[in-house]
Amino acid sequence: MTIEAERYGSRADTFVFLGCLALSITAMSVPDSWRRPFSQALRQTVLAPFLTLQEETETLKSSKAHVEAVTSQRDSAMLAATFLPELRSENARLRTLLGLGARLQTGYVPAEVLHESVPTDPLTFLVSAGKRDGVKALDAVVSPEGLVGVVSAVDEKTSVVATWAHPEFRAAAMAADGSVYGIVAPHGSEGPGIWMLELQGVPYRSVVPESTLIVSSGLGGVIPRGIPLGTVVGQGVDNEHWERTYLIRPAVHPASVTHVMIITGATAGGGNLRDLFQAEAKSP
Amino acid sequence: MRRTDKYRFWFVLAGLVLLHFSVRTKLGDERVAPDFLLLAVLMYTIRAAPGPSSAAGFLVGIIRDAMSPASFGANALAHTLVGYLSSWAKAVFFAENLFVNGCIFFGGTWIRNLIVALASGELKGAPLAWQLLGWSTLQSLFTALAGVLVLLVLGRWLSVRFTDA
Repeated sequence: MTIEAERYGSRADTFVFLGCLALSITAMSVPDSWRRPFSQALRQTVLAPFLTLQEETETLKSSKAHVEAVTSQRDSAMLAATFLPELRSENARLRTLLGLGARLQTGYVPAEVLHESVPTDPLTFLVSAGKRDGVKALDAVVSPEGLVGVVSAVDEKTSVVATWAHPEFRAAAMAADGSVYGIVAPHGSEGPGIWMLELQGVPYRSVVPESTLIVSSGLGGVIPRGIPLGTVVGQGVDNEHWERTYLIRPAVHPASVTHVMIITGATAGGGNLRDLFQAEAKSP
Repeated sequence: MRRTDKYRFWFVLAGLVLLHFSVRTKLGDERVAPDFLLLAVLMYTIRAAPGPSSAAGFLVGIIRDAMSPASFGANALAHTLVGYLSSWAKAVFFAENLFVNGCIFFGGTWIRNLIVALASGELKGAPLAWQLLGWSTLQSLFTALAGVLVLLVLGRWLSVRFTDA
């Protein structure tokens, strides 16, 4: 072949064209048993490097897709893992609640706390049990750790619970050993103190050591006797009229509760539930 | 014309062949992705005499047939005809014109697909019409665009002409 030649369509060109045409038609008409070995030979020789290149490209393409899929799965797993501690915590809480239920045997209604998705009053919450479940106003609401609050209003299917942090909450209380009696009320109406309780009306001569467990005394018949309210963490500053006030760390924080039990009647503990909750308090 | 220009020409053709087996699968649907192998054949045939063009078309076609044994020979026939016709077409419309080259790329691809479809006999009726008017037209268009792009970028390297003495 030379460059820049001008002669086109010589007889030789026609012969080559017709020859190629004839070979093509022959290739189309040969039996399958001839085609396969020929194709195989071409694939294993001339085409081999190109097919390898194509294969590598396909592998690269699928690898990229695979990496993207794995990354997506990893992201989903990480997102799911962020909820894992909360799920474990809830699982543990439900187990302890089941344990408490087994000990109470009767006279209670389990309920789920219906958390609101919008900002609302943090001192009350809604639970998924109401009048048709036997819930009445002023029924005690407990969790495995202790008293959460009391039912303040009852609907057909739901109830409003006023937690112990509510300004109107009061509970007749006593030291776990029965040495001291008083009234438990919220420590403050605003600021961090709102999440603490205080034991009021303790005679001046009575000294309550720190870490003393304070439980409900059952006086007044609203809250059953023996439900843990909290532990003493120190003496209050307002000591007047010959009485002492003690600061109490609550047994249960309302924000940590997802399921509760509403005490609606006589339970297995009879008049004193202290033993049931004490066993619970020892578990982690 | 320098001697090295001819090597550059072959270098470009080799590049197109490599593109066909590497990049093509990443360019979307296989039915519409540009056919770089046919483009390489057409790049050669529009610069060569009809005889060598037919032979080049036949060789590329028979190699493609090896990858699709079900319609063995159809590609060889189609590429032979397209190679021969494109060589003649360039002789008839002789001009180093980008548009003419683009039309040859488009027409060559479409005619190749038509002959393969008819010779293999795998498609009939509506699927055949859809293949020729839809997919084949799109593939021809993209192949022509790719060819024009190659000519725009590497046109100087491809300005050689091979014919029988």
